Amino acid sequence: MTAPDDIASDEEPFDGPSALDDPTVVLPVPAPGRPGLAPARSTMGDTQRWLLSFYRTSEISGALFFGRLARAQRPGPIQQDLTHHFADEAQHARYWTDCLTELDTEPLKLGVAYQDQYLAAAGLPANLMEVLAITSVFERRVINQYARHLTVPELEPAVTRTLTRIMQDERWHISWVRQALKNMSAEYGRDTVKAAVRRFERADREVYAATISEHEERVSFILDRAGSAR
Amino acid sequence: MSAPVGEVVGRIAEVLRRPVAAVQFDTELAAIAPDSFVLVEMVIELQDEFGVRFEHDDMAGLHTVGDVVALVERRRVS
Repeated sequence: MTAPDDIASDEEPFDGPSALDDPTVVLPVPAPGRPGLAPARSTMGDTQRWLLSFYRTSEISGALFFGRLARAQRPGPIQQDLTHHFADEAQHARYWTDCLTELDTEPLKLGVAYQDQYLAAAGLPANLMEVLAITSVFERRVINQYARHLTVPELEPAVTRTLTRIMQDERWHISWVRQALKNMSAEYGRDTVKAAVRRFERADREVYAATISEHEERVSFILDRAGSAR
Repeated sequence: MSAPVGEVVGRIAEVLRRPVAAVQFDTELAAIAPDSFVLVEMVIELQDEFGVRFEHDDMAGLHTVGDVVALVERRRVS
């Protein structure tokens, strides 16, 4: 299992601040909320169903986004990694579907994914470097959110298994994007790359705070439980 | 060297999956793009296709198809 400390020990891209170290960014990523779920042990069934569906929707949107990017690229290493990335995201959506099935429920159809709000707040990325910069910030948000979710006590085994499995892939996502950004520093300029990452980190905090606020009732459970587990 | 306007408009229409007739200079991007992900694809695709690079400051001025065409042309000559 990937622990939050392991994630935090990863080298941060371009010295940008880590979401894990930022106390104002309570959790990261795709969506907040939580869980408890399940039939016998928890009264949080609807909340968990919503949260896992939120994760699932976010993964679907991620797959579509990276699929579009892969299509727009010429064949080469970047396209190869983008292809791998969107295949992972699609698989993650399937894992969440399977997880919900194992929990004896069905996914909710949610209209708007976390990423939709993300681009609205961050603005349209101007080029591939900026796309990867926003991706690096977003992926850290995701893995931190999943890591935070894992700290909730008495998670159903299916949820723990799914979070753990997905986080293994997410670590590779962060790794390849970080390396690609480093490689692009020569072309775009290191300062420009760092500035892009920081700009998107600011947008990320904004969207995350708004998401938490909008879905406070759904996410407070995971925040409270995770907090008490620390 | 500037890119033929028709080629840029055609590429925009292709990426956005709209008939070329629906992609006029004064057409608002928000009116023909189903979501922002498609706009990202369009931005990346145009840079690759026409050998240009957009910068962060360019994005704030992109509202219409004409804005995009003008940006591609400006970057082609700069």
